[in-house]
Amino acid sequence: MNSHSALGGLLRRPESGAFLGLIAVLAFFGIFGGLTFLQPAGMASWMNVAANLGVIAIPVGLLMIAGELDISVGAMVPFGAMTVAVVSGHYGLSIWLGIGVTLIFGVLVGLINGYMVVRTAVPSLIVTLGSLFAVQGVVLGLTVLITKSTSVALKVEGPAKAIFGDFVFGGQVQAMVLWWLVVTAAYIYFVHFSRFGNWIFAMGGDKVSARNAGIPTERMTIVLFVLSSTSAVFVGMCQAILYNSAQVAGGQSFIFNSIISVVVGGVLLTGGFGSIIGIFFGTITFAIVNQGIYYTNFDRNWSALIIGVLLLVAVLMNNTFRKMALSYAPKKGVK
Amino acid sequence: MKLVKTLLKATAVMALMATTASAATIAVIGGSNDDAFWNIIKKGIDDATPAVVANGGSVNYLRLVNYDNFAPDVVQLIQTAISMKVDGLVIPDWVPEAEDPAIKQAVEAGIKVILMNAGGADKARELGAINYVGSDEYVAGQAGGTYFGTHGQKNVLCVNTLPGTANIEARCKGVIDGITAAGGKGAQLPLPSTSFGDPTAVAEAIKAEMIKDDTIDGIITISAGDADSAAIAIEQAGKTGKAMLGTFDMNQAGLDRIKASTQLFAIDQQPYLQSYLAVSLLASAIDFGTSLPTFPVLTGPGIVDASNIDATLSGVAKGAR
Amino acid sequence: MGDTILSLNNISKSFGPIDVLHDINLEVRAGEVLCLLGDNGAGKSTVIRLLSGVHQPTSGRMVMDGKPVQFKNPREAADHGIATVHQFGGTFPLMSIGRSFFIGREPTRWFGPLKIYDRKKANEIAVKAVQNFGITRIDDGDRLVGGLSGGERQALAIARAVHFGARVLILDEPTAALGVKQATHVLCIVNEAKKRGLAVIFITHQVMHAMAVGDHFAVLIRGAVAADFRKGERTREQITDLMAGGETMATLEAEIDAHSTPASAQ
Repeated sequence: MNSHSALGGLLRRPESGAFLGLIAVLAFFGIFGGLTFLQPAGMASWMNVAANLGVIAIPVGLLMIAGELDISVGAMVPFGAMTVAVVSGHYGLSIWLGIGVTLIFGVLVGLINGYMVVRTAVPSLIVTLGSLFAVQGVVLGLTVLITKSTSVALKVEGPAKAIFGDFVFGGQVQAMVLWWLVVTAAYIYFVHFSRFGNWIFAMGGDKVSARNAGIPTERMTIVLFVLSSTSAVFVGMCQAILYNSAQVAGGQSFIFNSIISVVVGGVLLTGGFGSIIGIFFGTITFAIVNQGIYYTNFDRNWSALIIGVLLLVAVLMNNTFRKMALSYAPKKGVK
Repeated sequence: MKLVKTLLKATAVMALMATTASAATIAVIGGSNDDAFWNIIKKGIDDATPAVVANGGSVNYLRLVNYDNFAPDVVQLIQTAISMKVDGLVIPDWVPEAEDPAIKQAVEAGIKVILMNAGGADKARELGAINYVGSDEYVAGQAGGTYFGTHGQKNVLCVNTLPGTANIEARCKGVIDGITAAGGKGAQLPLPSTSFGDPTAVAEAIKAEMIKDDTIDGIITISAGDADSAAIAIEQAGKTGKAMLGTFDMNQAGLDRIKASTQLFAIDQQPYLQSYLAVSLLASAIDFGTSLPTFPVLTGPGIVDASNIDATLSGVAKGAR
Repeated sequence: MGDTILSLNNISKSFGPIDVLHDINLEVRAGEVLCLLGDNGAGKSTVIRLLSGVHQPTSGRMVMDGKPVQFKNPREAADHGIATVHQFGGTFPLMSIGRSFFIGREPTRWFGPLKIYDRKKANEIAVKAVQNFGITRIDDGDRLVGGLSGGERQALAIARAVHFGARVLILDEPTAALGVKQATHVLCIVNEAKKRGLAVIFITHQVMHAMAVGDHFAVLIRGAVAADFRKGERTREQITDLMAGGETMATLEAEIDAHSTPASAQ
């Protein structure tokens, strides 16, 4: 292979659009945000936001690659926060018990979501819309019943705080960033290097053919839903430990933000195409756009507009690269 | 025959007099059962009711089941109160376009009306209500800004996670006007909806602003949950002890911070006082014809700080704060 | 005639109260192409689904290599060597050729303590298999399947089936969506598969294509075998007649004649 097609090969990967988008927004805010943005405190801002979002965005993205949607993550985040806060804050029980109960609830809701999607003909968007409202209702109802308020305080000390909800490395970067990097590496292995990853792409490309090829599509779908629910609950839990309280409302923004990160990262909304590294870059791109503006002198009222425009540009770039990958044909006579 | 007629007439007149004397049937309209705020309102109603009953009256708390069909449901409750032929109605004017016609109907039917919690003084006068009992967002904001000013802060940032909503905008405007009048300056930080409900996004944004502008020494948030994020942001920006934190509304974590002196204050609209005073004023007006020159009756802002934190905490435990 | 690999004996299939297939008898032999003809709704798809294990027959027997068999799911049929290639290739357009070829049976190698998908090996084998069938334009296993032409995708699917040891190859309308040149390519590949000793069942409603490769023909009309003959026993017109139900075509021709007779002759 000559160097020309090597570069071409790199450009045709799904991650390339997302990577270029990331460089572009980094440059944009580096210019307009100046030194404050490029210093550790500034970099830590978007890293922290990216980490919390990224842990949820990857399984949401995997589900999208496999042809499904999970919007119940928006309710699972406050569910996780409130569970650990009620168990370990309101009732004062051990934080490890609170963490355990929270994660178990995450797995349970994931199992319910997955089971309903594979057993009924109802599309996953509708199933998870139902669980979104159901979980929201449960969180509000139980919290008010138990604590008579909609906000619960939580004070955690010791190893649990250090592992889940504190800052590391000189105090600007959240522990969640480490969790995010480890989890991303694991996903990259499973999706791009192990056999199971191929199965996920097959399910999203053509579910019937995948099943006929012997892939256990139902089991894999349930596993993916468990991953997304548990990840969302985990993020909510860590945030409650870090910020010392949990609110009943909140978490809704994770639904759209994770879908944006995933789409900017090159995942096709219709499934069958995407990459974990792409989602990683997409999440960072979104986080930079989300936080970078505070380091600039732009009027804050325009934040939403700037976010929208930058993300649109990123998605258009991805589309172009994907078309290039699909229409690639080596010229005749050139070997 | 004449004697029987006289006796009957006398009984009727006595019955009429008796009914007129025990006339104070009051209806209070409020939010749903699982809404913590409206449960504090309930305690105010419950504590005022014995006096009303002692004078021969009754109080009925009509609550919305949920907020899914908000405006029509509220209007329906007002109609129910009118058809119950109550003497007095305590009603929040949440949705003026929908509620005003029904409230006017109640006033025309001879029902004494007090606007509570939502509506404001001008609206109360316009509709013919005898008073407005509640708080004023702008005034509450001013109190916050002034508090910062008298405490020595010079540059206050009002963090608005719900930009565009009228009453929240009024809060921040009040803060800025308050601190400006006290000789400092203030600004609003509007956060886009992509940050709503994500404590990390809120905290990092506040941190960024503080790093960018080193002179910010006061942060005020429009909700108690946001204050939890702001507290961490102040730490992360390295301004612990130099930048002070205040918030609208209270939650347990915030009260704990005030007790530990890591938060300066919280602004409470004191819902207990809203319902307690509204019911008492109304009953008194119906039974005894009193009229209060103080119009409106502002129950907030009540500033909770280190000086009254202990009493506040015990009030929270009793469900009154 | 080659050995009979698979036969359907008195097979009937009903879905609830609806009878779709009545008393089907078919024999599938190695090295031969059996063309299953019939108009839309005749029951061809149902026959394929029975053979590939998606459905089970309501009555009758399926016999493979002399032993009765029952396929409870597609995986069982595949394990017995029955491979089905569907109209649109059943391949995954957004996957690379290598990955798509090895779907469900990915080759792996060790990377330290981790077992990873052997991309190089998969691409090598996939490209070689397709080139063996005469498609020399494909040389890069990392290319996306969606970038291939319809005929190339069919070739990929057939090459995959052959590679994984299929003994019976069921092709469901492989040329229906293709132009003339590509269809010819696919027919060449079908011949190649036949030469390698596979039994091929070729479902189509295009008589020309069937006659080009078929050794044995069965015509399905409304769920029953209306005709069963070997190559050369019928002409093209006769086969087309049969497919359209024979009488219907004759009636239509008579009507057309009647309308085109000049008025003075009546």
